[in-house]
Amino acid sequence: MGNEEGRVPEALAAALPRPRLTPARAALVALLAVGGLVAVSPFLYMASTSLKSLAETLTRVSPFPFQPDFWPKTPEWSNYAQAWTLASFSRYLRNSLVTAAVTAAAVGGTSCLAAYAFARIRFTGSRVLFSVLLATLIIPESVYLVPNFILVSRLGWYDRLAGLTVPFAANAFAIFLLRQFFAQVPREILESARMDGAGHLRSLFSMVVPLSSAPLFTVLFLTFLGSWNSLQWPLVATRTARWRPLTVGLTTFNSDAGPQNQLIMAGAVIAIIPVIVLYALAQKQFTEAIARTGIKG
Amino acid sequence: MAGAVHVENEHSPRLPRGFERGRAARRRRDTAAALALVSPSVLLIGVFGIFPLFFTAYVSLFNWRLAGGRFLALGNYAELLGPGVLPLVGVVLSVGAIVAGALLVRHGADPSARSRRWTGLAVLAAGAASFVLVLPRLAAQGDSEVFDSFRVTVWYALLTVPVQLVAGLALALALTRKVRGRQLFRVVYLLPYVAPTVATAAIFQLLFSLRPDSSANQVLALLGIHPLQWLQEPGGIVPLLFGGGAGAGAVAPAGGVAPGVVASYWAQWASGPSLALVSIIFYSWWVFVGYYALIYINGLMAIPRQLYEAAEVDGAGPARRFLSITLPLLSPTTYFLTLLGVIGTFKAFTQLYVLRSPAAAAGTDTISVEVFFTFFRKARLGYAAAISLVLFLIVLGLTLLQQRTLERGVTYGE
Repeated sequence: MGNEEGRVPEALAAALPRPRLTPARAALVALLAVGGLVAVSPFLYMASTSLKSLAETLTRVSPFPFQPDFWPKTPEWSNYAQAWTLASFSRYLRNSLVTAAVTAAAVGGTSCLAAYAFARIRFTGSRVLFSVLLATLIIPESVYLVPNFILVSRLGWYDRLAGLTVPFAANAFAIFLLRQFFAQVPREILESARMDGAGHLRSLFSMVVPLSSAPLFTVLFLTFLGSWNSLQWPLVATRTARWRPLTVGLTTFNSDAGPQNQLIMAGAVIAIIPVIVLYALAQKQFTEAIARTGIKG
Repeated sequence: MAGAVHVENEHSPRLPRGFERGRAARRRRDTAAALALVSPSVLLIGVFGIFPLFFTAYVSLFNWRLAGGRFLALGNYAELLGPGVLPLVGVVLSVGAIVAGALLVRHGADPSARSRRWTGLAVLAAGAASFVLVLPRLAAQGDSEVFDSFRVTVWYALLTVPVQLVAGLALALALTRKVRGRQLFRVVYLLPYVAPTVATAAIFQLLFSLRPDSSANQVLALLGIHPLQWLQEPGGIVPLLFGGGAGAGAVAPAGGVAPGVVASYWAQWASGPSLALVSIIFYSWWVFVGYYALIYINGLMAIPRQLYEAAEVDGAGPARRFLSITLPLLSPTTYFLTLLGVIGTFKAFTQLYVLRSPAAAAGTDTISVEVFFTFFRKARLGYAAAISLVLFLIVLGLTLLQQRTLERGVTYGE
């Protein structure tokens, strides 16, 4: 694994022309390319199948993108229209969007307040309270299924937006993550704010939050994604299409569509596109968000 | 809440006169403000995150259908773990002995405590032997569906986490080289993790379908192997790979006699995970290797370059540098990923739900899926609560164990 060029200091490396193409390096790139192909082929398979006719999904099939049979002869764009009308995808999309946005906003709010208190105010019981909140993170979701279903039904939130959002409106992990960053804001800044008569809320929103926009973005982003992708709880907490999210809609659609693979794949494309667009727009923040939570968790 | 959040505008808190009293007042005010700030989170997490744990325990004592039900005391647990208490006590004691023995062996590493090491080994061996003998008895008297799901969960964890760790690290090492297009590669390898699970799992449902022209079967055809049932195949992979019955035959040698409880239980293990589960494991690799690599890349970036340069000056070869710098300094990352991976196995739901086929369900339902269907299809809330609590105890035990054992082997940088 030792490759001499790998050890050249960054600044020097930038000034040098492109690194030499040694056989080892070429092999590495080839290997990475094969791996990359494995990573994207299922997506290509999805895209190509979603554009095939029903007959083609039965007769023109190939596992490899470089074979002509992998692709449709003429793309059947009507599959999308058919999938769209067969399931209430526009409804599901709206539901997912609202649910995820409300949850992310709520988590952003509650965890900013709590993280500020834990990071910036010395108060009795703070450490105990914080550890109790953190301890909830190891509890598997399955444990919540039964009690929260009973709770939410009794509250009259079954099949309602509240049932999908309120139980997730606060999150110990988000508090933990933000606390790390809020604690790094220099004391002097906060003290000078206090001298000017700013209360805790003012210094939180005018000083701490603007200085911690990156981790806050991470929290909003991961909460949004988590809500967007969740399946187990929405399966249990919704009965009608009223608030049913895209994930549940897609799984029921898969059984409704039966053996019509082209429609199932069109549905998958519809579910994937918003996330991929978001990923393309904010790829850097996205990777940083995941890496950051990974390391800090 | 805003009322409580008013702040002290003491301009000089260091005044000697009345200082103590001022500080106490300030502290009280701060506590009030802090409590107001944390109250929304504490309230929500309390109601939906902590209270449910106790409520589950309560529900698990009832024959709870959708609208409550008869009190059963420990009836649900008797159904789950069987009527006899002895096998359960035996399993708990065996696990205790295994853990205690392992800890003694670790302590015995320094020369002053050699004898402890031997005691530890003996305790460990005794614990393992009794575990092998007692677990089948517990499984035989308990709910076989739940014990099957436990086996599936263990297979799933064993075949995903270590593979993803090794492959993720290898990929991370490759992606930190100066390779053309490595930024593009990083984006591409993360795609499977980023895309919604329901959608990507739906793709794999087609790739690994039982149709002879499914992608998986076409690849097999290229290798001259005839088509398999993949996600629909409940059979274990060992007989599939080595011919029917070979796996079971090796374990149950007693020819004509009906195999005992112990032998037949372990024979089930010996037939390996179902092919359906293996297909889901392929999916898991596809999703998580890029994610593990991303986390490892971060760990690699944090290792100071000078360490490598110094080692190189000292004449350490690449393998040596990897073993004595990279690997130890990455151990916190590895620890984190292992913990996350194992707990993740117990939490996993979406891919298992989407890729589930009725024909192979017994071979792919993990404990969390079992809890879900006990609740969702059978509407047995009390029983589902009981299973989920046992699951919680297992996860809790594993977390504590991992903290004790793995964390000691972790070298934190600096």
